[in-house]
Amino acid sequence: MIARQRIGLTFAAMLALLVAFAPWIAPYEPARQFSTHPFAPPMRPHVIDDEARLHAPFVYPLRLVDPLERGYVEDRTRVIPLRWLSGTLVRGADTEPWFPLGSDGLGRDVFSRVVLGARLSLGVALLAAVIALAIGALTGALAGYAGGWADSALMHLADLVLVLPGIYVVLALRGALPLVLTPRQVFTALVLVLGFVGWPAAARGVRGIFLIERRQEYAEAAKALGASPLRVIARHLLPASLGFLAVQASVLVPAFVMAEATLSYVGLGFAPPTPSWGAMLQDAGAARGGADAPWLLAPAGAIVLAVFSIHLASSGRDPLLWRDGES
Amino acid sequence: MIALLSSFDYDGARQHRGISTPGANRLAACRLLRQRVGPTRKNPRKSDDGDRPSNWPVSSRVARACRARYVCPLFALILAAVSGCRSSELSTRQGAGGPVRGGALVASLRSEPRTFNRYIDNSAAADATAALTQAKLVRINRKTEELEPWLAERWTASPDGRTFTLTLRQGVTFSDGVPFTSADVLFSFAAAYDPKLQSNLGSALRVEGKPLQIAAPDPATIVITLPAPFTPGLRLLDNLPIIPKHQLDPALKAGTFADAWGVTNGPGHMAGLGPFVVSEYVPGQRVTLTRNTRYWRKDASGGALPYLDRVVFEIASGQDAEVQRLESGSIDLLTQADIRPQDYASLKRLRDRGALTLIDVGTGVDPNVLWFNLARTPPARAYLQKSEFRQAISYAVDRDAIVNSVYLGAAVPVYGPVTPGNRIWFSDAAPKYPHDPERARALFAAIGLTDRNGDGMLEDASGAPVRFSILTQGGNIRAQTATVVQEHLRQAGITVDVVALDFPSIAQRWQSRDYDSIYYGFQFSAMDPAMTLDYWLSSGSLHFWNPEQKTPATPWERRIDELMQQQIAAPTLDERRRLFAEVQKIFGENLPGIYFIAPKVSIATNPRVAGAEPALLDPKILWNPDTLNVTDGAAAPHR
Repeated sequence: MIARQRIGLTFAAMLALLVAFAPWIAPYEPARQFSTHPFAPPMRPHVIDDEARLHAPFVYPLRLVDPLERGYVEDRTRVIPLRWLSGTLVRGADTEPWFPLGSDGLGRDVFSRVVLGARLSLGVALLAAVIALAIGALTGALAGYAGGWADSALMHLADLVLVLPGIYVVLALRGALPLVLTPRQVFTALVLVLGFVGWPAAARGVRGIFLIERRQEYAEAAKALGASPLRVIARHLLPASLGFLAVQASVLVPAFVMAEATLSYVGLGFAPPTPSWGAMLQDAGAARGGADAPWLLAPAGAIVLAVFSIHLASSGRDPLLWRDGES
Repeated sequence: MIALLSSFDYDGARQHRGISTPGANRLAACRLLRQRVGPTRKNPRKSDDGDRPSNWPVSSRVARACRARYVCPLFALILAAVSGCRSSELSTRQGAGGPVRGGALVASLRSEPRTFNRYIDNSAAADATAALTQAKLVRINRKTEELEPWLAERWTASPDGRTFTLTLRQGVTFSDGVPFTSADVLFSFAAAYDPKLQSNLGSALRVEGKPLQIAAPDPATIVITLPAPFTPGLRLLDNLPIIPKHQLDPALKAGTFADAWGVTNGPGHMAGLGPFVVSEYVPGQRVTLTRNTRYWRKDASGGALPYLDRVVFEIASGQDAEVQRLESGSIDLLTQADIRPQDYASLKRLRDRGALTLIDVGTGVDPNVLWFNLARTPPARAYLQKSEFRQAISYAVDRDAIVNSVYLGAAVPVYGPVTPGNRIWFSDAAPKYPHDPERARALFAAIGLTDRNGDGMLEDASGAPVRFSILTQGGNIRAQTATVVQEHLRQAGITVDVVALDFPSIAQRWQSRDYDSIYYGFQFSAMDPAMTLDYWLSSGSLHFWNPEQKTPATPWERRIDELMQQQIAAPTLDERRRLFAEVQKIFGENLPGIYFIAPKVSIATNPRVAGAEPALLDPKILWNPDTLNVTDGAAAPHR
């Protein structure tokens, strides 16, 4: 294992821990609204107050002075000590919230929502990406290795899925589903829908690689030595596609996170107040988060981190340069 | 008798509007949905500028289902607007030397025009173009709410108030030089009432479902007889642009009226009585209108109008793009004018630098509403039918929290459909529901909804949890408001499922009465309640909670029907206001729809725009296009 992979795996493990202990790490219920604190900026913890006295970690409470301009001032006359291990890892007072990553337009804690949203958003995106890549790799491998009519038929099928107007399919599907969907139903539907629409690009790429690689000397040699087609595919050709699949994964995961938000427009996303990264980013865009409330883009940072760890951990080959990582 | 309803999405989608009438107005409403869901076979130029993101087409299945039904919803999202702008002026300043002549005004258009024929298309694009290129017989001044002579320079009314004799202005010509006569008025009415066209304008020009009788004893006189008493009288005519008979009569006779004035054959050939003519249309980019040199109106000093040489509509895809263009100075104003709370901070920074003018117009008159399905309630949730349940919800929701968070303070709490912005018709005596969780609990308990298992949530007599769903449009300010309502009701012990759907799906559920409650909005085109009978009367197609009832389903709806019928025929304004105040009181007691807030409306324009008199009703700025001007006038030929 090379250093880069170790870093990637460390990141991935940290994310996994975050997801596993999310309810305990998130300071507040993700749906809890502090209506006096819309668009509150992140609150920096302090240990030294204005009079240079040392405290346990604390924050200064925020006061909203201009709602329309989202103007807050810190009330430096009071300190709000952070409470440790009182139901959650750390939180502010009940009346004076602490927003480590700021709050959204409804006064909900962005950090709590990012942490809890990771479960659903990453879950959906990763599972759907695995399904899409599995179908894609299998189809592409068969098409590329077999060639001929099988290749033609499979690639036409991929084309068909590519040109299928997905949103129509989703609308029709939504019409057939009950009006109120449980998060579990939404999760399943999303994974299936995204997995189904995501595979053709992977299939095409894998097929292209197979077309080239199957004529390479090592593949011909394996065949000449009597290896079965399955062995040639699994042991020799598929590993050649791993770099490509890793790149695909890193493209599909963020795309699927955002696709969930798009699907929520047509009623197939997680219903409010369930936190999801895609919906949070969409809200951030609508609220001009980039300019006036950059902390609303925290889920984007989380996506980058997740994708980065996938990149680093995915393969011994450099997924971007597509050469041996140790060279 | 016009209720102009429109819908526009907060997140950059496009505006949609339509016209509806009191009484038998199925067709008008139906047109709206047709328009929203896409072109129909019958009328292929129907606009499809509904309020969904442009990248999601409507399911043909949904569209077909919607078209197949005769009723369509007229929902409309209410643009929340912002206030807090400290601007003291209510109109943009005029330069020291009076209005400047020349120059071009650049406005944005959120949707592509499909046709310039307002008779067959009620989209925002067609409406804006018609407002600039056509004229009406009379005009309601959006600022004063007064009826003003326009193409008709004066009129007399018969003692019973049902027959009006209008004298047309002399010497008026269309932009192509052909004189305007009463024959054009007759032709316009004929087109509006043409059964094959089913124009939404025609369905709006009715009293108790019957068309007006029009006669033209001579080329300068029009006699209009109302089929039933209707105190607002000629206000009905505010929405009918007069079109040229000499140009469109052959098309009407040949059955090709719907294709006349299409975007490909219209520009440059359309004759109108308005201040501008369409001179160029570049698909996806802009519509250019140039000054009508034969325009009939003069300014106070006798000078020719309009002041502007050109008006350019730049087509911007979405509200975000629109606002960015306004900020960069590449457009002067937004046609669908008011600004969103989230845009306020950056617009104010520009205002502080003198790069923008912000105008506080007042409290919006089109609040969103949460209404329950009173037409068909599932037996398991019979409590939805009880007015105590709805009153309790109204008490349980903290309106101030919605104002502070969703609207960033730029809204006021309201308790009924008529907001304080409607100064003439708002009644302060209607019931109010300030936030009172205790009272909400008591009202829930009074109808048997209590916490029976100690889980903190309410159950009905059978032990089933009290739970209902709210349908709303995803990704905008309504979804956010519904989320706040959901949280407040959770604190009150009620589980609410917020279901975000696209507009056609909501419409379909509404038509088939397959919902618990819907949070949506609709927009009035007139302040006068006589123009919005379709909402108030139990037989109305926009009586959202239980539309098109054959006989009133409840005693209070029967009473509102009676009061509204008296109201539209009552002789004095005071009497009409008294009757309408009683209607608002009955509405407030029974709460078929729960209103939470009304946004404060602010609009932003480039400082070069002068002569604007922003109004609460659409078109908020472009309602007086002939006196708008730009301070740099001809000195800025590049614009």
